[in-house]
Amino acid sequence: MGMLKKAALAAVGLLLTAGSVTAQTTLKWLHIEVNPNQVKIWEEVARDFEAKNPGTKIEMQFLENEAYKAKLPTILQSKDRPHIIYSWAGGVLRAQVEAGVVEDLTPAMQGYKDNLAPAAVTAFTVDGKIYGVPHAQSQVGFMVNKELMAKGGVDPSKVKTWDDLLDAVKKLKAAGITPIVVGGADKWPLHFFWTNLAVRLGGKPGFDAALKGENGGFAGETFLKSGELFKQLVDLQPFQTGFLGFKNPQAVGSFGDGKAAMILAISSFYHSQKALSADKKGISDDNIAWFDFPTVPGGKGDPSDTLGGINGWLVTKGAPKEAAAFVKHFVSPEVQKRLAAGNFLVPTYKGADEGLASPFMRNIAQNLAKSKYHQNFYDQDLGPNVGRVVNDATTELAGGSMTPQQAAKSIQDAYKQGN
Amino acid sequence: MTALAARRPLQSGKLTAILLFLPPALLLFSIFVVLPILEAAWYSGFNWNGFGTPKNWIGLDNYRFVFETRAFGLAFRNNMLIIAVSLLVQLPLALTLAILLAERFRGAVVLRMLFFMPYILAEIATGLIFSFVYDGEYGLLAAIWRIFGAEAPHLLASPQTSMLAILIVIVWKYFGFHMMLFIAALQGLDRNLIEAARIDGASRSQTIRYVIIPLLYPTIRLSAFFAVVGSLQLFDLVMPLTRGGPADSSQTMVSFLYTFGVTRMRVGFGSAVGVILFVICVTFAFTYKRWFMRDE
Amino acid sequence: MSDSPTLRRSTFDPMALYKALFLTVVAVFVATPLLATVLGGFKSLGELRTNPFGLPQVWEWSNYTDILLSARYWTLLKNSLIISTMTVALSLIVASMAAFVFAHIRFYGSDMLLNYITMGLLFPAATAILPLFIRVRDLGLLDSYYGVVLPQVAFSLAMSVLLLRRFFRDLPQELLEAALVDGCSYINYFRYVTLPLSRPILATVGTIAFVQSWNAYLIPLVMLNSDALYPWPLGIMVYQGEYSSEWNLILAFITLTILPTILLFLLAQKHIVAGLTAGAVKG
Repeated sequence: MGMLKKAALAAVGLLLTAGSVTAQTTLKWLHIEVNPNQVKIWEEVARDFEAKNPGTKIEMQFLENEAYKAKLPTILQSKDRPHIIYSWAGGVLRAQVEAGVVEDLTPAMQGYKDNLAPAAVTAFTVDGKIYGVPHAQSQVGFMVNKELMAKGGVDPSKVKTWDDLLDAVKKLKAAGITPIVVGGADKWPLHFFWTNLAVRLGGKPGFDAALKGENGGFAGETFLKSGELFKQLVDLQPFQTGFLGFKNPQAVGSFGDGKAAMILAISSFYHSQKALSADKKGISDDNIAWFDFPTVPGGKGDPSDTLGGINGWLVTKGAPKEAAAFVKHFVSPEVQKRLAAGNFLVPTYKGADEGLASPFMRNIAQNLAKSKYHQNFYDQDLGPNVGRVVNDATTELAGGSMTPQQAAKSIQDAYKQGN
Repeated sequence: MTALAARRPLQSGKLTAILLFLPPALLLFSIFVVLPILEAAWYSGFNWNGFGTPKNWIGLDNYRFVFETRAFGLAFRNNMLIIAVSLLVQLPLALTLAILLAERFRGAVVLRMLFFMPYILAEIATGLIFSFVYDGEYGLLAAIWRIFGAEAPHLLASPQTSMLAILIVIVWKYFGFHMMLFIAALQGLDRNLIEAARIDGASRSQTIRYVIIPLLYPTIRLSAFFAVVGSLQLFDLVMPLTRGGPADSSQTMVSFLYTFGVTRMRVGFGSAVGVILFVICVTFAFTYKRWFMRDE
Repeated sequence: MSDSPTLRRSTFDPMALYKALFLTVVAVFVATPLLATVLGGFKSLGELRTNPFGLPQVWEWSNYTDILLSARYWTLLKNSLIISTMTVALSLIVASMAAFVFAHIRFYGSDMLLNYITMGLLFPAATAILPLFIRVRDLGLLDSYYGVVLPQVAFSLAMSVLLLRRFFRDLPQELLEAALVDGCSYINYFRYVTLPLSRPILATVGTIAFVQSWNAYLIPLVMLNSDALYPWPLGIMVYQGEYSSEWNLILAFITLTILPTILLFLLAQKHIVAGLTAGAVKG
């Protein structure tokens, strides 16, 4: 049947292309971007590439973030997998490399890679080979609605320590304002709290030690303490009603609608809160502020350390050679500047961040430039299985169905068991 | 018939038929049903992500991991809960409605069709419709609550109520099917028996209790059987509603298998869950047949 | 009809009142979500929030027409139709052939083979979904219609064979004997006698296979990757992910995707009810 089918397909293909001289190459590009304003630019970039490379067609496919993560493992096993896929680097990327499903881009990146932020390229490097082209960086921190904060009597620029944050939550609650909105149904927005606390508490040495299984690994003191501090926050009931049922886009939209004072956000939410809000305008620039994740007493991390993402594109095994060319086209200075000018992302192409129009995004870019330890999202960094367990455990912490000890232990158990 | 001349003697005609007609079914069944379940038993001994061949033999560890996962315990509990509600709420409801709607009166047929309609809707569509009904912002439930000036409960968003919300949807979707089973059985009942009871002076409720229901026992047993088997494989409905959340409070065994096995490509772990589910299904089917359906 | 007493309309009967009340409550419980879904698709998001139950103040026809004019909607329906039709056709062919042999030809091991296939009734496809995935992948059928159709047919085989076999056996046995004496082969008998006489049961089995396949989620979810092949249950989940809380659009989309099912049901209700319940009872 396979042969017959292929023959039939080939025949149809011949018929269809009989008129044109060049054979058609179709690149299947799978993305997870929900912001229509950004997708529009991406589509234009694809059309532009098609115009410059006759005979190449780019087919965009969309999956919602969580659906994508759930589907990716099965997608990659298929021979007809998309040629270009979205990636957060980290342990998930490593597992994909070990499975032999992503293309080594080292040759294609020769020379070109020096134009990109070195840390971003490093994130996509596994055992000395480059497997992806990073296009965006982000930082996790608190994005706040100034007006609501003022109503609760909180000055966001003064929230520096964990206790300040707890105080702010109490004040906001007392003023009848929902302090924090979070997309708990997707789990990962909740894991930002626990992992960011760990970044503050243990710094890079703490994380590295846990990876090596030292000091009790992820069940060690740093991570127990993260759980306990997170629980202090959870006990104040800082989240919107029904937070465990909100998907992230709903939560971000809810922030954009002005229904909560704060959101522990990825910096790119700055733009998506507009697109996802009911009126498509969201919180205006003069009403939005950002503060970095608060520090904790006795924390070994540096206040300039950042938690965040490094996002890029992978080319899957067996993809047409045009795939790498397209990805490079996508991370070209023109496109990067254009996306920066729209404030959609912090670009990875050196100098493109000059194009960032809003002070908000500029501040993020500076934070990232200053950061000496940029911790990738745990759920990606720790690999497909362990990462998911981190999300599960922190959600249970937030839901009150696990203690900090149980949460830390379940993560360490998963880590020992491997991916 | 005369036009069809036999080209071969009888015996070989038999053999040809067997050789021509049976293999497609047997092959399909073996390749896509029997082998996979045998392979599930084999794979469940490995830690394997599906790439290459399974190499990392870990014996029964996967089963231990399954039983140690809190979510699996919840999933099992939820499946039992679904079975309980199917038997204790849905079945009596279906039976009552069947007895009411088996009578001839204006509107009976329309109501039967209306009640059966949820059953033919896809689980996915049903789940989405009810995630709208339960939505804390735009949902019907929220609107009802607002009439009384209260803040709407987010049923699907709380570990305490997510399962309750799903159970309501299950009853909504499946009672019509069981009702139709009963109506079909009621229509096949021997009228003379019921007449006789009436003539002997049995009241309406006595007739139902002592004559009709005992006559329906075989159908009740069957309906219960389907309720249990259906409950054990519930998945499609859960995905659009809660995806098993929040905090795994509404996982079923199949949604657990999907979330923890398929989406993480832990073939061994997921296969172990599959084998456990298989054993539960088969044990149940055999036991039930032995205890309740001996005569059939 | 059961012989419960008919309503006594002349005198006031509290039982009748309770009955009517009870039926009304159940009818409202069943109908409200469905009606609210259809109507909700005609509302703006703002109105949906303030007026989820009533008729729309402003009928937003564009919610529906935009979907109907999108290629996306038709692709989903086309895929569902192809997958379901293939499943029905293959099920009927494969199952009726096997059922014919099991009904009319006794040979060494025939009971054993029948029992073997009957095993399929005992457990759902979900139990073996991972090995099934690996198998379909190794056959190179991932992300193709066949990768969905073949497992679906295989898992519905047990039920189909049993239903068909019972019906075939109930056909007058003398017919077969006479035909065989006349020198008709089994194969010709199957083609020219059994199948034409079995239209009702073929319709029943076909209906069951169609409804199951049309509504199926798990197997397509695991086997298909590209949205060009998605049947509607997968497509609508993607749509919902994309429009997360624009419930008016999602409701319109739901309405349009369940519309074919409901139309089919209204047109052939007797058949579908008989088919689905008979499938359960006789299986």
